[in-house]
Amino acid sequence: MSVLPDVALERLDGPPVSIADLFAGERVVLVFVHGDCPTSLLALRRLAAAGDSAARLVCVAEEDVVGAARLARRAGVDFTTLAAPAPYELSRTLGIETVPTAVLLGADERIVGWDADAYERLLGVELPGEPRLKPGCGARSIEAEPAGGLDELEDMFERGWTDGLPVVPPTPERVAAMLGGRDPDRSLGRVPPAHGEATLERVASCAVLAGCRPAYFPVVVAAVEAALEPAFNPHGLAVTTQPAGVVAVVNGPARERLGLNGGIGALGPGNRANATIGRALRLVLTLTGGAAPGALDRSTLGSPLKVGVCFAENEEASPWQPLHVEHGFDADASTVTLVAADAPLSISEHRSRTPEELAATLGWAAAATWSPFWWPMDDTSLYVVCPEHSALFAAAGWSKERLREAIYEAVVRPARELQRGETTPTVWASGPDELIHKWTDPEKIQFVVAGGEAGRFSAVFGPCDGMGTRPITKEISWST
Amino acid sequence: MEYVTPFDERVREPVAHAPRPEDLCGRTVALLDINKARGAEFLDRVEELLREHGADTVRAAKPSFSRPATGEQIAEIARGVGLVVEALAD
Repeated sequence: MSVLPDVALERLDGPPVSIADLFAGERVVLVFVHGDCPTSLLALRRLAAAGDSAARLVCVAEEDVVGAARLARRAGVDFTTLAAPAPYELSRTLGIETVPTAVLLGADERIVGWDADAYERLLGVELPGEPRLKPGCGARSIEAEPAGGLDELEDMFERGWTDGLPVVPPTPERVAAMLGGRDPDRSLGRVPPAHGEATLERVASCAVLAGCRPAYFPVVVAAVEAALEPAFNPHGLAVTTQPAGVVAVVNGPARERLGLNGGIGALGPGNRANATIGRALRLVLTLTGGAAPGALDRSTLGSPLKVGVCFAENEEASPWQPLHVEHGFDADASTVTLVAADAPLSISEHRSRTPEELAATLGWAAAATWSPFWWPMDDTSLYVVCPEHSALFAAAGWSKERLREAIYEAVVRPARELQRGETTPTVWASGPDELIHKWTDPEKIQFVVAGGEAGRFSAVFGPCDGMGTRPITKEISWST
Repeated sequence: MEYVTPFDERVREPVAHAPRPEDLCGRTVALLDINKARGAEFLDRVEELLREHGADTVRAAKPSFSRPATGEQIAEIARGVGLVVEALAD
């Protein structure tokens, strides 16, 4: 018999227990399992459903207490369950390489994997049903570990401090550099849905995790401030079944100062500031705020936007007032504007030669956003107008207001064509020939200019309709 | 290795469910309509069934499905009733 370590193991149904206590004159069978192994789950379920056994069954989960409890609950286990987490001393001593493995203490007898007949013989119980045999999985105790303990990047995944991509571990030194002398305890407010408090220290931790340079931190702070405005409806956006994302648009001198991209590929990858600022905001919402996908974030499909989207407006290529000036800020202020949004829809238009034609194309592209027969929509649609398209409007002397009105007026359909499927009470209450607009109000149509100088591809981010959210602009403060 | 957590650990504690009542007789159940399409119809039927089981019912409605009930509304419901049924979605 192996010499067993005298370790105290956490049990779920009482005080910690030592292995020596388990002997206590009884015939004890330890069943080693872990939560990522379907055969472990199968074995526990079948054993939990068996009648009185000739031996005392003890489940030994290669999990921490929370993981062990979750596994026991999933399997309906009503016998003693012990948490035997890393470094898996008991598993190593007994040479457990596979789970499930049953070990009869004090004897050499063991069962590796699921073998119903062998369990019946060992325990003196009936275990009806299929399968009778199923191979097990690798035990956690034999999983390769890098020299010197858990790799720090893997450690971040273990802790759940991630959006699924590798992160930069938030060491105290990195977080202090991110804070740049700011008060770590200053609170930006509570982040729904779990209402974690967004202290600057936690926001800085998220910014480090996301890969931000410390220079980006003021933008992240302003973005979090904007996201927590009640008018943005952060709670609804966090928990909805919609694919609700958040788009962050940066205006003003911050763009050049931080190297944000508003030019070629502005909505795509390749720029650190764009990629990490948007990601940092999302990490604040999902980690500090508790909106983890599949947990409190109930989005049916999710959205690539939920990884994070941030870009600069290409103010230099725009014939119009930039977004922040339109929202009441000075042109030399640096701001971030958040818009709650559905996925971007690309709009190819290389043939229009008049502003009326181009406006109609941009407008009709949005006709199927949210839902094809849901007219009118009542939340914001954000158009990202490419420079070649905005130049055509500029050449014709069209202001943003004129374009907004033109799109609003162009996209109408008689109610009779919309009276099916998911449509609005407005449509049902209208006469068959009454014209319905795609938006309740022209102000629901917003524009920014971005993109490379060549190519006639604009885009529209559809709305998070029904969320009652509106764009929020916050000035970026560089002071500490 | 020491790290700075992004979580507010205070809010990660799981909250235990209230104990399930043995029966509904003489208890007051709040029926909260979150204001999604046809949620009220669903609650009408639930209300009928609850009354058949001897429960009293009160109705409440959120102004918008996309926002949480107000603190005042939650406190009001908590003061007067023992159970809540929420018509969550369409």
